[in-house]
Amino acid sequence: MTKYTSEIFEVLRRGQFICSNSPDDHMQTLYRVLEDEDVFADLYEYFSKINYVLEQGNEYFYFSRTEKNVDLERKLDKAFGWIDILDFFKTFDSSFDVGFRFTPSEIVNQLKNNADLKSKLDSFKKINVDKRNYSERIKKIIEKLERDNFIVLESEMSETYKVLTSFNYLKDLITIVNIPEEIENEIPE
Amino acid sequence: MNTFNDIKELISSLKREEKLISEMFGKRKSLDYKYSYALELVDFDEDRINFLIERSVVRENGGLLEMDDQYLEFFEQVLDVNEEINLSYIDENIRNIEGNIDYFLNENNENRKQGYLKFIKKTFRKIGVITLRSVVDLRRNIENTFKNEPNYKNKQLKLENLDEKRNLVKNLIKQTLDLINEEQHTFFKTSLDEELNRIIIDLKYQLGECAHNLIEIEKQIINYLNQIKHHGRFLERLRKLKYLKDHFTIGSETDIKQVLATRNQVIFERRAGEPLNLSLDFLREEEKAFEAIKRVATKHLNRKLFKPILADIISAELLEDNIEEEVMVNLEELRNHFLPTSDNLFNFILNYDFQKKVDFDERVTIFCQIVSIYELDLVIENTYQMMNGVEYAIVYPK
Repeated sequence: MTKYTSEIFEVLRRGQFICSNSPDDHMQTLYRVLEDEDVFADLYEYFSKINYVLEQGNEYFYFSRTEKNVDLERKLDKAFGWIDILDFFKTFDSSFDVGFRFTPSEIVNQLKNNADLKSKLDSFKKINVDKRNYSERIKKIIEKLERDNFIVLESEMSETYKVLTSFNYLKDLITIVNIPEEIENEIPE
Repeated sequence: MNTFNDIKELISSLKREEKLISEMFGKRKSLDYKYSYALELVDFDEDRINFLIERSVVRENGGLLEMDDQYLEFFEQVLDVNEEINLSYIDENIRNIEGNIDYFLNENNENRKQGYLKFIKKTFRKIGVITLRSVVDLRRNIENTFKNEPNYKNKQLKLENLDEKRNLVKNLIKQTLDLINEEQHTFFKTSLDEELNRIIIDLKYQLGECAHNLIEIEKQIINYLNQIKHHGRFLERLRKLKYLKDHFTIGSETDIKQVLATRNQVIFERRAGEPLNLSLDFLREEEKAFEAIKRVATKHLNRKLFKPILADIISAELLEDNIEEEVMVNLEELRNHFLPTSDNLFNFILNYDFQKKVDFDERVTIFCQIVSIYELDLVIENTYQMMNGVEYAIVYPK
């Protein structure tokens, strides 16, 4: 059993991901440890005894459960939130994807000449309470993604955020949802 | 139209306007290069610009200047920055070679034969260089298009066009090799020219290299096109899901509920705090724990202690027993005394010695109480008597 077991557990059980492109050296180490097939098999066995399933995605590791863990409503709520945020960032830059870097001020700047982005920002109801200004709202949105561990603050000095490989998880989720063809045809271009 | 008289004049005038030309070349992508900008670079001497315009190095159009295509193309090709890949050259060259080979075979005059041969060698050399350059250009353009083209549809179209060009180059290489290896077999056998052989070997080597590069480029293009398609599909899907979500039909019209129901990732869970109690043994025995306790204790020192407000002591007098006596009429005993007599009840009560002073009204009350309580032990007659204004029934014991 690897000496990183408890550290891996601490990260994963909080619903966080261990990503291959994390700027944090420690995370990198944990990723490399998990990449070893034998270690992975050992830990899979080990964690399954306490009802956690160690899973490997596209360049990231995460925990799931064998049984239903949360009610559907909460999951839907969370997924809807992701769709909104993802749509917002894709409007900001369509190349927003794994490895993409951005600063909050870039988004604020684009608000001036991108009405679409602005209207999308305005439609975030929960964030727009208290008449916050744009940069505060954008920070809130960024915080949400950061808390779910899809992006990470790479440089505090320049406030640069980086999109982690766990973003693939979101992409998979979006791709896997099936829209029946007749519904798809009804959606305007 | 004036032209330069010789190469020397051309080069020296280009050298003289070095600043302007390099500036204009650098800005060839932006559409408007103003005449006034150019003036600054030629020390405000309009004649110098006019000289270039006369010789068609630059063209003027409504206050804007642009470099002539001929020069632009030349610079781009020589500097390896051209974006257009012109394959007609190769095609034309192949045809030229074919023609010249025929002339060569038909010609008997040795000198003229050598002339054709020289042309053929020159063209072969050119084919090699041009093909190699096209391949390099192709590769660079593909990368640039993929990375810099912001419009997704155009990016895809441009890459598809470049892919067609790649096919063309591939065909041209095949054509050239066919020409050398099969079609003009006689010529290559009969010409017996050392230099031609060397050129052909070089050419084959170059074409081989090009072919390898093209295979790699093909892979790259397929990869890029796939990425674009995948990305485009993803954006499309995201937009559709967002649309359905905003119209509140996502739950009923897609299988998102089923998808989520099967996903039990920890990320969906609420992050609950998990307070753990400290081990008592640890607190008792460890030096570190003691340090921590001391540290925490200092924080608590200046905290106000909560004192409950106390009431005054209850005086002892209030706690002493007080005896109060009251004489009560014992109705039970009164009945017992009455029952053995033959007197009527009212009379009996009137004359009864209560050991205290009981006035008439009280005696009437006692009479009423006895009658109502012990009704079963008494006989109430139907005759009445009066005394002191009170009418009473005659009551005897049973």
